[in-house]
Amino acid sequence: MLIRNILEESARKFDEVKAVKWLNKKEIMERSYGELMENVVSTRKGLLAEGFEGKHIALIGTSSVEWMESYLGIITGCTTAVPLDAALPCEDLIDLLNRSDSAALFLSPKLRPYLDAFLGNCPKLQKVWMLQEEVEDAPAKVYGIGELRNAGKSASADSVCPDAEDIATIIFTSGTTGKSKGVMLTQNNLASNVEAVKITAEPGTAMLSVLPIHHAFCLVMDWLKGFSLGATLCINDSLLHMVRNMSIFKPDIMLMVPMMIETIYKRLAAADPSIPKAVLAEKVFGGKLHIIFTGGAHLDPYYIERFAEYGVEVLEGYGMSECSPVISNNTPENHKKGSIGKPLENAEIRFENGEILVKGSSVMKGYYQMPDETAETLKDGWLHTGDKGYMDEDGYLFINGRVKNLIILSNGENVSPEEIENKLALNPLVGEVIVTGENNGLTARIYPEQAVVEAKALDTEAIQTQLQAFLDEYNRNQPTYRRITGLVIRKNPFIRNTTKKIKRQDVLIDEPLE
Amino acid sequence: MNQEMEFKNIVAQYSKVTPEEMNNEMRFREDLGFSSLDFMSFLGELEDTFDLELDESEVLKITTLGEALNLLEELQ
Repeated sequence: MLIRNILEESARKFDEVKAVKWLNKKEIMERSYGELMENVVSTRKGLLAEGFEGKHIALIGTSSVEWMESYLGIITGCTTAVPLDAALPCEDLIDLLNRSDSAALFLSPKLRPYLDAFLGNCPKLQKVWMLQEEVEDAPAKVYGIGELRNAGKSASADSVCPDAEDIATIIFTSGTTGKSKGVMLTQNNLASNVEAVKITAEPGTAMLSVLPIHHAFCLVMDWLKGFSLGATLCINDSLLHMVRNMSIFKPDIMLMVPMMIETIYKRLAAADPSIPKAVLAEKVFGGKLHIIFTGGAHLDPYYIERFAEYGVEVLEGYGMSECSPVISNNTPENHKKGSIGKPLENAEIRFENGEILVKGSSVMKGYYQMPDETAETLKDGWLHTGDKGYMDEDGYLFINGRVKNLIILSNGENVSPEEIENKLALNPLVGEVIVTGENNGLTARIYPEQAVVEAKALDTEAIQTQLQAFLDEYNRNQPTYRRITGLVIRKNPFIRNTTKKIKRQDVLIDEPLE
Repeated sequence: MNQEMEFKNIVAQYSKVTPEEMNNEMRFREDLGFSSLDFMSFLGELEDTFDLELDESEVLKITTLGEALNLLEELQ
């Protein structure tokens, strides 16, 4: 079974059911499964007619029905989709477009200011389709998706079904070496993850999608899994309006990262205690929400108990992009608080020095054009997750630490400290720098370059002012999760091991070296 | 309740700092302990409570309580 087969079956079974709902100002817009499928097929045929068979095609934009139809048009044909984070700075997107060898791009109209930079710096990019019907004053190589779909509608040939081992999508994830890695997921990887997660829902069940669409958790579990069930995917237009949109779309099921659960709980806890919980639940959750699936970071089990008081079951799972993404999950029938659930039926688990290893049909093919990193992570078919854990006597998986040096924020974003440290180290006043994750944000611990301090005769206050100004400048171009919110100026250099590497476990110690 | 007090009560939902202890120089992330999502949710509540429409790209530049209060006064 491929995603194409799953989608075709859903279009047949749920033809009239609403597949997607979204807001246009205050009006609710809808697309049925039948209409969605028409656009998917015309996009797929259009890509074939335009000669993109076998090519990589990137998408940059936040959740929209046009984004999803284009994505499905790519992966149901013999093309590979490369979804990129629309919040990244322009130069990072150029780097990823080039490193992923993307030959074409679907771009959100909001990012039109980046267009010239993309066309000028990405020599492999042959065409850009803006995620809108028509484009006014379009420069060369730039079109609206309407033109692509029309080309598809008038073409007779359709793309053949891709092979199960073809790469369906490349998803970029933070790397511990300071460079993000392109996770290659095959057609079979995606479809088997969709099939292995056992959730039942009636056709038309409302799911409000609030996570970033370029993330595997959102892409596969909200959208592809939702479509397999005949669910109605409702698009949250902004995180500012998550609660408001819950009352508009009245979701039955939602996927969230722990940070969202923590934020919503603050609103529940601050409410007037005389308001009955059922009334408050209706006001905050929209009145129908009964399940939240969560993953991406650790959730304090405290919230599971509190949300249960409002009639909402919080079920934690575990996964990573490299596993398409779900590895284990709690379900309404089988769950244990504090655990990350039982492994999926297609995932084999073992432990090596406490580290969780995974093997199975959802495990990636490798990192795109990174054979060394692939060999380090995939050994004899076993994926080394970088997480430490154990399984209890009932078969539930628990996590109790990390092997790899990656900061996991409670919004589910994985941040590579090295990637940021490399950028901060470019400032001459930064002698040594280590980035740590604290209080749900990032802190830069900096030992100032003493030669610069002496040459400019800087006092403590001047160092603080100059470094803070530098961090403010750095933050301006970064997505929220990569901003530095804390600055610690060290009096002494960091402690190093015998190979002269900074000992990350001792970065909080600031004492004179012997 | 005046507008400033109502505003501070909304802030207090996301913070351990009480309305009485708040001052305009306090930063949402560092001093009031907001997560990035708390801040988004807070802005959404401001929109609903004071019937405003905020420009997302502009409001995300706000860092202090005073800046948010100024914006609120401007838009009212």
